[in-house]
Amino acid sequence: MTTQMPPDIANLTFDEALAELQRTVAELEAGGGPLEASIAGYERGVALHERCAVLLADAELRVRRLVERAGGALEAVELRADDEALPDGSG
Amino acid sequence: MSHREPPSASPGGDEPPDWALPAWDSLSDDGSPGPATGPPPAPVATPSAPVVRPRAGVIPDEFRPSILGVTEVTHVVRDAVRTDQRLRDVWVEGEVGRVTISSAGHAYFTLKDERSQLSCIWFRDDRLVSPFEPRTGLRVVAHGRIDVFEQQGVYQLYVTAVQPAGFGDLALRFEELKARLAAEGLFEAARKRPLPHRPAVIAVATSASGAVWHDIRHVLERRWPLAQVVFAACQVQGEPAPASIVAALDRIARYADQCLAEGRPANAPVVTILARGGGSLEDLWSFNDERVVRAIVGHPLPLVCGVGHETDVTLADFAADVRAPTPSAAAEIVVPDRVEVAALLAAEARRLTGVAQRTVAAARRELGGERRALDQLRPADRLAQARERAGVLLDRATRTVLDRLGLAGTAEQRAEARLRPVVTLRLGTAHATLDSSVAALAVLGPQATLDRGYAIVRRSEDGRILRRADEAQAGAGLKIRLAAGELGAISQGPLEPG
Repeated sequence: MTTQMPPDIANLTFDEALAELQRTVAELEAGGGPLEASIAGYERGVALHERCAVLLADAELRVRRLVERAGGALEAVELRADDEALPDGSG
Repeated sequence: MSHREPPSASPGGDEPPDWALPAWDSLSDDGSPGPATGPPPAPVATPSAPVVRPRAGVIPDEFRPSILGVTEVTHVVRDAVRTDQRLRDVWVEGEVGRVTISSAGHAYFTLKDERSQLSCIWFRDDRLVSPFEPRTGLRVVAHGRIDVFEQQGVYQLYVTAVQPAGFGDLALRFEELKARLAAEGLFEAARKRPLPHRPAVIAVATSASGAVWHDIRHVLERRWPLAQVVFAACQVQGEPAPASIVAALDRIARYADQCLAEGRPANAPVVTILARGGGSLEDLWSFNDERVVRAIVGHPLPLVCGVGHETDVTLADFAADVRAPTPSAAAEIVVPDRVEVAALLAAEARRLTGVAQRTVAAARRELGGERRALDQLRPADRLAQARERAGVLLDRATRTVLDRLGLAGTAEQRAEARLRPVVTLRLGTAHATLDSSVAALAVLGPQATLDRGYAIVRRSEDGRILRRADEAQAGAGLKIRLAAGELGAISQGPLEPG
């Protein structure tokens, strides 16, 4: 399933995918379209659901730390999952 | 109170002892110095003094003291205490006397100064969440309300919090600042912003050391690992803390702007958690700092404040869009639960499958209907239809032809006139041919044969012409036709077997 996912769906965020899934289901439930369109909608809905399910199952919390650079620009530095000990600092 | 002096002198004129003087008399608000110069007090029931009742008829009814039950008196005192604004929410400073912890976990202790004592009760639930425990000899500030314990006829302080002395200044500053900022409208409910539904990026401002950051991170990981967390470390205790907190909130705000400016809206935080673990009021004092309160109010993102324990309330809590009882609770409030969202997703999947099944079933029903309709269209019916359609066409064609003929009529008549002589000639020729043929047939007829001496023999019973001798057995009647006339005869049977 995942490999067949249309590229535009594979790049959606969870919220985007869920919102489109809900919209698709509502449209299908409203009915009225030709059978081909319904089937296409169903297939897209399945792909959207798959995208959401994968994101939900595989997500790993991404933690970054805000660091202020000399010029005043801010940088978010990646922290590893087991990186508990942090040097304190107020920036 | 001071005008409730009895209208008549006390009988006997004997002065009650000093200790029996009612307190209200010495506190008279007209500035009278007390019992020494004032009129003698009304007779008061005391444990040792005999009760002196005014005689009826001597004292007008409206001044005669009514006689109350103990409970009634207690209720009057209780009501007076409860309706007094000053006693509802008090901070009392004093030295802790004897402390007793009951088996239920409630603490009973006295607060005293040089002249007075105050009984205090601190219930278990409030006591257990306090980081501070009163011990005999300590100077403390207790917060609570004064109420009457009716069963024992005592008033006491019902404690909600106890802090070491010296805190009194802080408490006053807290109330003063709270009143001032509230008057500015900083804590108004209308200012509160709703939290985003499923935030993609969450900013956390807290200390990098300590359990709080770990707890928040753990909650976010467990509930909504789809989020990104942007951590802004700050000091949460001591002199530099307020400025550090303000700077951390500012970094978060600037980073959000920076992400948007750089076209990375997916990395921009959309909600901020400001957190600190539990501690004494002094420990939490940075979160009552005016700079911090104003930074929270001015923060561009919705902000959840989780400072201390559930019973700790800071001005930062009032200023935040949402107040969480603890740091972990702040994290829980900010993100949805993965399990709940998974259930929502599953419900969508069921709806999707359901609608797909219904769509296919409907299409199948429709197809079946078409097939039945086709089956019912028998060929004969279709032929009839075709015929009807053909009939319509024929009618139209006929009309067209007739119209054409009408137009061509004169031409045909002319043609007929030309053809008629030809036909007549042909018919004449045909008649001549027919005449000669009739003559030929006459030559070939039976009469000519009979004329030549032949005869035709028939059986009498059925008129059948005989061709074989055995067709007329002996005794059968015969009719014999000759060229002229007919002869009757009887057969004698075949002459020799055929």
